[in-house]
Amino acid sequence: MSHMITKDTQVEEIVKINGTISYFIQHGVSPISCSGAFPQSLGNLLKIKKVVDPDAFIEGLNEYIAGMSQNPAGEKDGQSA
Amino acid sequence: MVKPMDSEYTLFIDGKWVDGGGKKFETRCPANGEVLATCAEADKEDVDKAVKAAWRAFETWKDVSPQERQRMLLKIADLMEANADKLAMIETLDNGKPIRETRGVDIPLSIDHFRYFAGVVRAEEGEATMIDKDTMSLILREPIGVVGQIIPWNFPLTMAAWKLAPALAAGDCVVIKPSSETPLSILELAKILAEVLPPGVVNVVTGRGSTTGNYILEHPGFRKLAFTGSTEVGYSIADAAAKKLIPATLELGGKSANIFFPDCPWEKAIEGVQLGILFNQGQVCCAGSRVFVHEAIYDRFLNECVTAFEKVKVGLPWEESTQMGSQINEVQVQKILSYIEIGKKEGAKVASGGYRITSGGLDKGCYVAPTILDNVDNKMRVAQEEIFGPVACFIKFKDEEEVIKMANDSEYGLGGAVWTKDLNRAFRVAGGIETGRMWVNNYNSLPAHAPFGGYKKSGIGRETHKMILEHYTQTKNIFISLSEKKVGLY
Repeated sequence: MSHMITKDTQVEEIVKINGTISYFIQHGVSPISCSGAFPQSLGNLLKIKKVVDPDAFIEGLNEYIAGMSQNPAGEKDGQSA
Repeated sequence: MVKPMDSEYTLFIDGKWVDGGGKKFETRCPANGEVLATCAEADKEDVDKAVKAAWRAFETWKDVSPQERQRMLLKIADLMEANADKLAMIETLDNGKPIRETRGVDIPLSIDHFRYFAGVVRAEEGEATMIDKDTMSLILREPIGVVGQIIPWNFPLTMAAWKLAPALAAGDCVVIKPSSETPLSILELAKILAEVLPPGVVNVVTGRGSTTGNYILEHPGFRKLAFTGSTEVGYSIADAAAKKLIPATLELGGKSANIFFPDCPWEKAIEGVQLGILFNQGQVCCAGSRVFVHEAIYDRFLNECVTAFEKVKVGLPWEESTQMGSQINEVQVQKILSYIEIGKKEGAKVASGGYRITSGGLDKGCYVAPTILDNVDNKMRVAQEEIFGPVACFIKFKDEEEVIKMANDSEYGLGGAVWTKDLNRAFRVAGGIETGRMWVNNYNSLPAHAPFGGYKKSGIGRETHKMILEHYTQTKNIFISLSEKKVGLY
């Protein structure tokens, strides 16, 4: 699985990747709600949430997904955040 | 089980069922993962057709008399009632909430909403004022036009009723988008609306927020937007409305305080904790997710709540005995479990639950045990951020002043409750908390006839009350000179 997330990637596409929700929550950004997945790009969500360093957030997210690809079972229940 | 819904749904535009231009999508039962139906996704052109149909309908709908609008609203309510069992089961299957809640709360409240606004519309009156003996001012309310409405997945039919009933009562036409997680009850409602309303008065477009939802926000044809959902998306709705220079009503997130004093009505109060955080699996914008308990009763109250939480039957939502059903989807489960882990790292202790349930035939669904986090500090993330699950954060307080300060230490202000037999204290605490709704000795009661909406980042506007009609209408002032004389300036 190779996912390269950028600030232009739609949030709903990102949360489909199993386990990414834990990364978001761990970093104080909820990408889902009763409205469903945030209906815009990751860049817009990070702007609304006033994330100080969006580039670092995205870089960390990509690393997290890469790590998950190597160990998918460990994230199944979202317990590893 | 025979599924009560169709296997395929299209879009409801201009009184007809039409294919959408976007991709089709499946809606699944979160309780067991089974596909329930295939739905159409409205593309930009479909949204445009819906808006144009609504404007065509508005030409005549705006002049329909209040008597006739009342008759139609009552007819809608009657037809919903005749189909109540079917609507309840569809809502339960699509959302995962227990059948006892959809039968006992969601569907009856939705029906009553149409009846309430059927009554209200006949009591609406304008005003007349004599500015002086020769000058009369008439103040009238007129429908605003075509309204775009976007509703969430946690109370699909109820939220549709909250939005549609006042808009129809006001004389507006509507393009409404349900959540792509739970479109089925609204699509079934559209069948009822088709029997009662002229074509185009209500149009239902289904699809994702990132496509259909955004097409609604981008469309220049709306005169008002109405939204229930997260604060994050609320910013986008407000931004879209500002760019069009149109009003928006927003009902957004919350982190509400449920406050218990030593003189609370004990048994009812224990149930009040459950009503606050377990109702609808905690997926309620005004959930009582912060449970403030006075230090004098804290240990005993916590222990009895733990006992009560552990007795709650979590099960398949269509079974009559189930008290708590499935969360909406897998991602929501992961979000809840992530917050529980964060709470533990912050120093909270899991007093009850705290885990996913997969035993007892629940392995294919999205079930989380009723959870109590003890030893929570109001500054912790679990006490400040919306978890949107059955997770109660217990926080100890020593007096009124402290609890009011802590309750107000939140970016939200949607719901809240105080439990006490001291009426003076109830008023002091209810008045001191910055929130749109304070319950006294009850929780999550949301009937029509009492305004509901948020302070701070919980929203703008009040629904479930006749005052919402002000948001769905605009003021016309007719200013009349009764004098035969010239002004004399020219």
